[in-house]
Amino acid sequence: MRNRMLRIASALTLATVVALSVAVVVAQTPSRPKAPPKTATSTDAAIEASAEAFKKSVELKNFTVPKKPWGEPDLSGVWLTATYTRLQRPQELGDKEFYTEAEAIAEYKKAAESDAEVDPRTVHYDWKEYAMDAWQGGATPNLRTSLIVDPKNGRLPPLVPEAQQRRAAAAAAARERDPAAGVKTFGNLYTRCVLGLGAIPLVRGGMPGADSAATAAGVTAEAFFFQSPGYLTIVMQSNNDVRIIPTDARPHVPGQVRQWLGDSRGHWEGTTLVVETTNFSDPKPATNFLGSTDSLQLVERFTRVGPNTLRYQYTVTDPKTWTRPWSVDTTMPKIDPSLIYEFACHEQNYGLMNVVTGTQIREREGTRDMRGGTFARPPE
Amino acid sequence: MMRIGWTGFSAMVAAVTLAGAVAITGQGQAPAAGRQGGAAPAAGRQGGAAPAAARPAQGGRAEDGKPNLNGVWQALTSANWDVEAHQAEPGPHPEIMGAWGAQPGGMGIVEGGAIPYKPDALKKKQDNLKNRTLVKVTNDPHRFDTGDPELQCFRPGVPRANYMPFPFQIFQNRDQIMFVYEYKGSMRTVFMDKHQEAPVDSWMGWSNGRWEGDTLVIDVTGFNGHQWLDRAGNFFSDTAHVVERWTPRGANHLMYEATIEDPAVYTRPWKISFPVYRRLEANAQLVEFNCVPFVEEMMYAPIGLYNPPNRSSR
Repeated sequence: MRNRMLRIASALTLATVVALSVAVVVAQTPSRPKAPPKTATSTDAAIEASAEAFKKSVELKNFTVPKKPWGEPDLSGVWLTATYTRLQRPQELGDKEFYTEAEAIAEYKKAAESDAEVDPRTVHYDWKEYAMDAWQGGATPNLRTSLIVDPKNGRLPPLVPEAQQRRAAAAAAARERDPAAGVKTFGNLYTRCVLGLGAIPLVRGGMPGADSAATAAGVTAEAFFFQSPGYLTIVMQSNNDVRIIPTDARPHVPGQVRQWLGDSRGHWEGTTLVVETTNFSDPKPATNFLGSTDSLQLVERFTRVGPNTLRYQYTVTDPKTWTRPWSVDTTMPKIDPSLIYEFACHEQNYGLMNVVTGTQIREREGTRDMRGGTFARPPE
Repeated sequence: MMRIGWTGFSAMVAAVTLAGAVAITGQGQAPAAGRQGGAAPAAGRQGGAAPAAARPAQGGRAEDGKPNLNGVWQALTSANWDVEAHQAEPGPHPEIMGAWGAQPGGMGIVEGGAIPYKPDALKKKQDNLKNRTLVKVTNDPHRFDTGDPELQCFRPGVPRANYMPFPFQIFQNRDQIMFVYEYKGSMRTVFMDKHQEAPVDSWMGWSNGRWEGDTLVIDVTGFNGHQWLDRAGNFFSDTAHVVERWTPRGANHLMYEATIEDPAVYTRPWKISFPVYRRLEANAQLVEFNCVPFVEEMMYAPIGLYNPPNRSSR
């Protein structure tokens, strides 16, 4: 577990969003954060600590799940959803499902070091300056070579034809015009502060080597699990997205009630909380998770397997997107302290207007877009 | 009273201190309802019935003997339009919104009737009212010199969140109590165990809580100063200090009281109070009200950022 204070301060900086006004944020912070722990300033120290925690969790046997006073297994605390482990297994690993312990640590080291290395000419944020890199926040190595465990090859199943057509149509429209030229057509729900990064499912995999930490492992990736009799409520640090999960086997809301985060229902199977989520909205012009539709269904399984480890499995089904369901099996480390801070994203969303204005200017000038294509100059 | 299953000394203390307890326990609550499935220590006292599948507790007492506030609640007042007494009025756009957009009258929730503003602050309140539908989107803090934050789907702050016309849900355990409001899914955690000074200013403030007998007392500070109390422009500043008191008056209603102190704005502390009712529908639950997409056209169209520019007209 890591001291999270420094990262908290930075999460707030981000929440104040991407503001011009670092000075304002500093002025608002009444007390100076404590000196950062070594694991926030030295990749070596962080990697060593993560490797230790990882070895301990692998060796742990005969763990008895603590219980809440009302009898339910205790899942409460703040769990970190950031991981360097890829969602899909790299092709070159073939059928290799697991790393050895040494390989897993070596992979983690490689990913953490590349995450810490930033080219100042290309970087949007150097997240580590805010102590927001995953290696600073307590991300751990993983024996698995991919989050996906089913299909066996660790890769997403093929798309159904209608999903291929959707994807092709979206790509064609984006070549014609950048969707960010207007809020109405802009599918990035996070930039619009409609949703945060990854409330459901919680762990989505990393892209080690990506030059933005947001994609390298995930940022503001804390999930606060608040347990009370008959409920698990998950509050995400990112955008403070809230999922209220009743565990009393009540029926789902009627089909015409659609929600951005779906409608979740939980039940206990032994010490595992099984959560089924349906009723996702159609978030046009965005999509649901990985291009899925409002037919998306998610089954998540939460099992405390160690004092500081939560096993997290989920199965994704969307017959309008994939030819078959697919499943993930991973873990989340527990981090301190057990609280999250306000993330008032929309209130201070200075970024959105800058992004849209910039896109409109690029379009007007007929300059290159960020994806490397060229916009057609508007007809005179 | 003991059928609720209080345990030990804390129950005795509670019984002695609390008249409200009689009301709480006297409402014919099914005793097991206050207990959850699983190994509730006092379950055996409930006539040996196996605990039902976990059903969120309704009223009664929590495991630690404190009043059980878990549930979906809602205030029934028109205070979100104006915390002071007010008559019915047409809304800001009667030409299109008709009766839908009109404001209901109401008796107000301010003790003594009027908010004790300092003269300058009263002027600001009146300006706020005049400009309440003003929306100004800038990429600097001037974006807050506008109308009612609610109009733009900003967080409502406390106490306003408690009397907006939306339900909210209380989640309670011994160390923390969490409030989730249907409006915008705004939330706040009330720290019962570890009190600390607000680490940073925020919309919903920083909440430290304690029990005084059966009353949940919450000290809220750390506001960022952008909050309005209603659509009429009543407001406080970043020096505001709100003390809330939540007192059960029965299984299905609470009395809510808040003292609002802000020397920058008011001549003295003042109080609001109103009852809060449990939503008793068997299927009561918060339904997502993510209002960000509902305000994007209003906010971004006037500055040309909502619809992509029409390229053929250039």
